[in-house]
Amino acid sequence: MALSGEPLRPGGASPDVLVIGGGVAGILASLDLARAGRSVCLVERAPRPGGQVARLDKIYPTDHCAFCPLWTDVRECLDHPLVTVMTGARLETLRREGERWLAEILRTPPIIDEGLCIFCGRCVPACGEGAVSPLLDQAYPPVYRIDAGRCTGCAACASACPTGAIDFSRKDAAHRVSAGEVLWATGFREGDLRPLPEYGYGTHPDIMTSLEFEEWTAESGPNGGKLLRKSDGGTPSRVAFIQCAGARDLRMFPYCSAVCCMHALKQAQWLKRRNGELECTVYYTDLRAVGRDYYRYSKREPSGEAVRLVRGRPGLVFPLPGGGIAVKYEDTFRRDVRIERFDLVVLNGNLRPSLSPDREGDAPPVDREGFLDPAAGFGCGFAVEPGDIMDSAVQAAAAAMRILGRDKG
Amino acid sequence: MAKTVVLLCNCFGEIGGVLPLEEIAGKLRESGDGLSAHVLPSLCMDRDAERMGTLLRDEGADSVVAGGCPSPARRETLRRALEIAGIDPARCAHVDLREGCAWIHRNDAAGAARKAADLLAMGLASLGERGTSPDVWTEVRPECLVVGAGPAGLAAASALARRGVTTHLVERSAQAGGMMNLLSRVYPGNEDGKSRIAPGVRELEENPRIVFHPRSRVLSVKGFAGDFKVLVQTADGPLHLRAGAVIVATGAGVFLPAKMYRYGELKQVITLMELERRWTRGIGEAKRFVFIQCVGARCPERPYCSTICCPSSLKNAVRVMEEIPGGEATVLHRDIMTPGAVLEKYYRKAMETGVRFVRFREDAPPEVTGSETVEEVRVRDAAGGKVWALPADAVVLATPLVPGMDNRSLKDLLGIELDGHGFFAETYPLHPLETRMDGIFIAGSARWPVSSEQAAAQGEGAAVKALGILVQGRVSALSLGRVPGRKLGHGRVEEGSCTGCGNCVAVCPFLACSLQDTGNGRLVSRVNKMRCKACGNCVSVCPNGTMQIPEHNYRMVGAMIRKAFSE
Repeated sequence: MALSGEPLRPGGASPDVLVIGGGVAGILASLDLARAGRSVCLVERAPRPGGQVARLDKIYPTDHCAFCPLWTDVRECLDHPLVTVMTGARLETLRREGERWLAEILRTPPIIDEGLCIFCGRCVPACGEGAVSPLLDQAYPPVYRIDAGRCTGCAACASACPTGAIDFSRKDAAHRVSAGEVLWATGFREGDLRPLPEYGYGTHPDIMTSLEFEEWTAESGPNGGKLLRKSDGGTPSRVAFIQCAGARDLRMFPYCSAVCCMHALKQAQWLKRRNGELECTVYYTDLRAVGRDYYRYSKREPSGEAVRLVRGRPGLVFPLPGGGIAVKYEDTFRRDVRIERFDLVVLNGNLRPSLSPDREGDAPPVDREGFLDPAAGFGCGFAVEPGDIMDSAVQAAAAAMRILGRDKG
Repeated sequence: MAKTVVLLCNCFGEIGGVLPLEEIAGKLRESGDGLSAHVLPSLCMDRDAERMGTLLRDEGADSVVAGGCPSPARRETLRRALEIAGIDPARCAHVDLREGCAWIHRNDAAGAARKAADLLAMGLASLGERGTSPDVWTEVRPECLVVGAGPAGLAAASALARRGVTTHLVERSAQAGGMMNLLSRVYPGNEDGKSRIAPGVRELEENPRIVFHPRSRVLSVKGFAGDFKVLVQTADGPLHLRAGAVIVATGAGVFLPAKMYRYGELKQVITLMELERRWTRGIGEAKRFVFIQCVGARCPERPYCSTICCPSSLKNAVRVMEEIPGGEATVLHRDIMTPGAVLEKYYRKAMETGVRFVRFREDAPPEVTGSETVEEVRVRDAAGGKVWALPADAVVLATPLVPGMDNRSLKDLLGIELDGHGFFAETYPLHPLETRMDGIFIAGSARWPVSSEQAAAQGEGAAVKALGILVQGRVSALSLGRVPGRKLGHGRVEEGSCTGCGNCVAVCPFLACSLQDTGNGRLVSRVNKMRCKACGNCVSVCPNGTMQIPEHNYRMVGAMIRKAFSE
């Protein structure tokens, strides 16, 4: 499963389908296309496939780890003879050329070649800057990576490597790919919440977005699953989850991000499962638990006590001088305005499609909100419509079928 | 003459730096039994495949013990080497000499060496008892069975037929379209139900690859992915079919809110479905419409959100505002469920057209008043507690979709699962259209309530999953399943000692075990290799060890333990 230094697989430079984005939607669509006999080139910007789902500690409603089932599919993708996976690769230009699409892709090879790395770990202590660490925390065997921010380029790790896997001289390479069809599976990224000052994002380390919080509390994360304040490492007793922060808000994202209600319930329930004493409050607008068993999930009481739900959207979040974060809100059921003190505040709802409306070339147009027009090009996952893993998986399969329906081969 | 070759990996000094590999290899060679042993610098670099393969072939090896790291991710090279030497991968035992030996006992070289010798001896002992499961192949029937001709089934059948796959579309009623035939309009667009399914119906009428069986029911499904044998009861009698894959798209049922909100007592209280009919047949004089959400949903009897009722009510409320002069619409709800971009836009549109929304709490549901006819709907506003008295000409109850009547029988004859509510269940959120049976897929409201648009997407999605099997000329028992070529093996029965107790038949989740008559009245278990996934459930309930997975049988484990504790 070498990711670098390897020539493109047969059909890699001229695949039937170019899939842009190696998250769950792109991975699943590539597999569906390959199983139906189409050659696929999958382009992923990050150093490894998996997308946002690989960042999750747990997934709802099964409460399983996200990683293993996802990685089973990723590995099948990496091993499939009809799929070429290009990681660390950026789509530079895309244009129509006759019946086909011509893409220019710039690929930054990883400094550590996975095909040669035997995971002996000699590079880790060799680095004086602590820049070498496992690429995927949960993966066994670990895959190492070098943090470009900390690396001084001294190459002490390269001298320590017994197999020559570490090579600083690998250069970015430009690839030209000519594809029959293009499938957009570019997923979402986090939007900046600072333009909405009332949420206080950026003013205090204990005010986090929900994905930052997921990494902060992950069992494979920096604290081994323990909940700590980010500011001083202390033990929190109250956590607030603020839903629709940035979403369903005409000033930022008018749409509903579809995943945040369940995501917050999952996080709150896991916190309570690990520490029954902890108070978790979810401030919601509508509790959108619509999928299979989601409603039941929302009603669970993992520590004998339900997560506290307050209907209302806080109007002000601000750090208190004596420590802690104040949340000012109106409980719309009681019709009263209150201020409560929390140790941690988690903001949910800043998800936006990764595609931006101002892209160049012949890429299909996106609407004002950044979603791909399904009539203009093939797409799946968050690039087309907000949705969770299941929604993305369905869209991926449907998009694969629509692409297959286009040709007669 | 059977010959075993031991390959010891130096792992660039990671193993050889602690363990005296040459000494260990020497002792193995001396132990006789036609054993040979080699120390190699590595087993997992690209260049090693050819070298190891040649070595094994030249030695005439038929089995291998590989001592190295325990990482399955680094075994690709060895797999290629075994292929070059023509050795079944099941005849290769892996022994962990790195993490479990050299690394963990770095400070006790003598102890590490003893442990390595023990582990290698156990690996050799395991090979003596280890069996293999020869692969079996079956020709794929390049045809598909789709059960249910609603939006999901039609989308699946059309997609497959356009790809040249003959598709049998089995429908219980006389016509295709399912619930779309009953809907006046379909969200989130504004087309009528029949035009939503028109492309599918046209395909059905014009494409000879779709064989439509109206007024028909599936009676039995036997066989396995690639070749299912299906018995269908059609209007013209029983019909035997064969299909490589099956798509279940039987849709859902509707819930009748008997006695709720005075439904059945006051004729102005109707369901959303009845409102759809009224739009088609004439909406009448009613002007003030009150919609009540979650009628029989998100309650202890049906603890789920039916997904489609909020958008359906929004669609009708907008229509009341736009099409009925002087029309008024109020939606009483517990939460408005419009996740995503498209539906949220729809919700905003409803607010902009003047639809009123009042939230109520589960423990304070609205009340319909009036003696002969509906007068008002009284509701306590969850926001603040004010009680509204809303004059109404029509009260529309948004009821959930419920699992189809046939789900239970269909589940039994297909061997797939239902969820706790009675809808068809997927294996995993990442694979929402797949069931635990290879080659059987689910789509549409049969698996969970969805809009017609979503149902069609699921139908197309299920079609591509089916194609994944149908495009293959033949499938093998070991290649079926999620990760091709990684299936462990399949269960095997010693016919002589099988008592025919049937335990294995009872526990097999994949309907792979069955009891068969040997001809003299004695029943013995048989394993269908195409269905078996080597989960081992049968092995654990077999009272006398007759059922085994050859690659991991109990004799092998016994031999390893004996070796570990013998001097």
